[in-house]
Amino acid sequence: MAVRSIGEYKFPSRSRQELYGDDQLVHLWWKGNLWFCAAACFRAPKAMSWNDFVAGMVNPLFSCDPDFDAATTTFTWTVDDKPVSPAGDESLEALGVGHKSLITCVAA
Amino acid sequence: MAAPRKLSMKQRYAALTRDLDWDLSYVDEDKAYPYTSFEGIKIHDWSKWEDPFRLTIDAYMKYQAEKDKRLYAVLDSFAQGQGHLQLTDPSYLNAMKLFLQGVTPLEYQAHRNFAYLARFLNGPGPRFAALCQSQDELRHAQTEIHTLSNYNKYYQGMHSWQHQHDRVWYLSVPKSYFDDAVTAGPFEFLIAIGFSFEYLLTNLLFVPFMSGASFNGDLPTMTFGFSAQSDESRHMTLGLEAIKFMLEQDPDNVPIVQAWIDKWFWRGYRLLALVSQMLDYMLPRKVMSWKEAFELYFEEQMLGGLFPDLAYYGIKPPRHVEHAIAEKEILSHQVYWTLYQFSFAAGFTTTVPSEDAQKWLAEQYPQTFERLYKPLWDKASAVVDDGGRYFYQGLPQLCQVCQVPMLFTEPGDPTTICQRHTEFEGERYDFCSDGCQWIFEREPEKYVQAWLPVHQIYQGNCGGPTVPDVLAWYKLQPGDNGEIAGNVEQTAWEAWHATSSAEEQAPAPVAGN
Repeated sequence: MAVRSIGEYKFPSRSRQELYGDDQLVHLWWKGNLWFCAAACFRAPKAMSWNDFVAGMVNPLFSCDPDFDAATTTFTWTVDDKPVSPAGDESLEALGVGHKSLITCVAA
Repeated sequence: MAAPRKLSMKQRYAALTRDLDWDLSYVDEDKAYPYTSFEGIKIHDWSKWEDPFRLTIDAYMKYQAEKDKRLYAVLDSFAQGQGHLQLTDPSYLNAMKLFLQGVTPLEYQAHRNFAYLARFLNGPGPRFAALCQSQDELRHAQTEIHTLSNYNKYYQGMHSWQHQHDRVWYLSVPKSYFDDAVTAGPFEFLIAIGFSFEYLLTNLLFVPFMSGASFNGDLPTMTFGFSAQSDESRHMTLGLEAIKFMLEQDPDNVPIVQAWIDKWFWRGYRLLALVSQMLDYMLPRKVMSWKEAFELYFEEQMLGGLFPDLAYYGIKPPRHVEHAIAEKEILSHQVYWTLYQFSFAAGFTTTVPSEDAQKWLAEQYPQTFERLYKPLWDKASAVVDDGGRYFYQGLPQLCQVCQVPMLFTEPGDPTTICQRHTEFEGERYDFCSDGCQWIFEREPEKYVQAWLPVHQIYQGNCGGPTVPDVLAWYKLQPGDNGEIAGNVEQTAWEAWHATSSAEEQAPAPVAGN
């Protein structure tokens, strides 16, 4: 259903990908861990490697959980519900991560 | 010669609303009232609007002046008698900061839009009712500001509420709610605010704040509550009159009104998530639990009382109401847990609930608190015992519609966060619930414009890239935000009470009449 309005009603998204240049918004969700009240939202370059993403974004956030240990906690990953096995130098884009994608992890 | 006959109240109301109106002769009615047809609502006879109050200008002004006089007498005596020291605890004021930042600007918005209705509704009866409500809302905004300004002299977090309403992440929840309503047509606004906000959910919003004030030694806010109460009951009656008027005018109006009830129940319910945590966590002396309030003011009074009456017109209880009922056991805990970890960026403070408070929560929520939430608080306490304080190191994913961080869980599974998304014109949009997703899919063109605070920060529109940049742009000052323990407000409170217990206690001030 369209908006009922007094004239043409057409506006661009206020969070469309082009507003972020070569970056995009990426959501990160540690499923099953309620210590984090909600998934996180990051702005990350499309070309960012998985290793950089883990070192620069995942680990600093997850480290607020005292039970997390970057060296020993292992995860299985999905991107938008599709299972992935990210390799270190693969880019987020190559992994299928798009604008506002949801990267989900479950502790193994 | 006989003295001029004095008119009765009823005759004066008729003279004001009917005799002062006239049929347009040289302008088309739809030119004079251009906004009452595009929503599809059909009105055949505007004179069928029955105003149950039949107020006139002089009667209205007289009542309001009397109420203002009483309120300002209390405020004077409170200020002179150092009444702020009678609070249960300064942390009580977190609830009032939320009210001032979140609700007071909505009163002003309501004032503006009811003024618009007072010009643009075709019938003189509803125009005058809207004019009175417009003035009420302005009076509420002003009296709330004056009431709480007494605390601003001594406590944090109340200095930039108006500015913060437009900028701070959790305040985008009430702001976007009202923006959604005022950008709709006049009939949808009447259902959104007149009916859903002022009738369906009003007791859940105002009773907790006003009872919270009375339980926690906040005489000014309690007096403000009394001063607004008779207006609020008039607004409730008008909200009900508005919906009945639309439903009675044409059967084609029924499905349109039903869809608005469905939308605005869920929008309002998500907004009340902020009230739920106030009742269960923010108030030092508890009034009632959110669950109890929801059962009494919503399930009993609305689902049990109002909706059976509306069934006569073919109106059903709101869509997704079953999710709200199921959430009553978990809502406040999830919301306060979120505020706890994000209060570094809020205009109020949070802390781990005390042992007594946790005992009360366990009694109120025997199914959920000890099983699901106490372990989280135990872990947060252990962080504090180690000299730390848990704050979320990042920004949360937000719901595109309600703008609350996506903290709500799957229906029937309180351990898994609910993730919904919809693709519209090639872009992905995320939602916290089936209710918000349904609202988006009805009118995606409206919600793609949402000013989501997290996305705006990442676009560089909120003062700069770092947390301190954003907090400065929010105009947060030291002591406004973060942890309660050790806050300047707490330290000042202890010092004031140490001084006053050393001296002889002056008798508590008595409110003037």
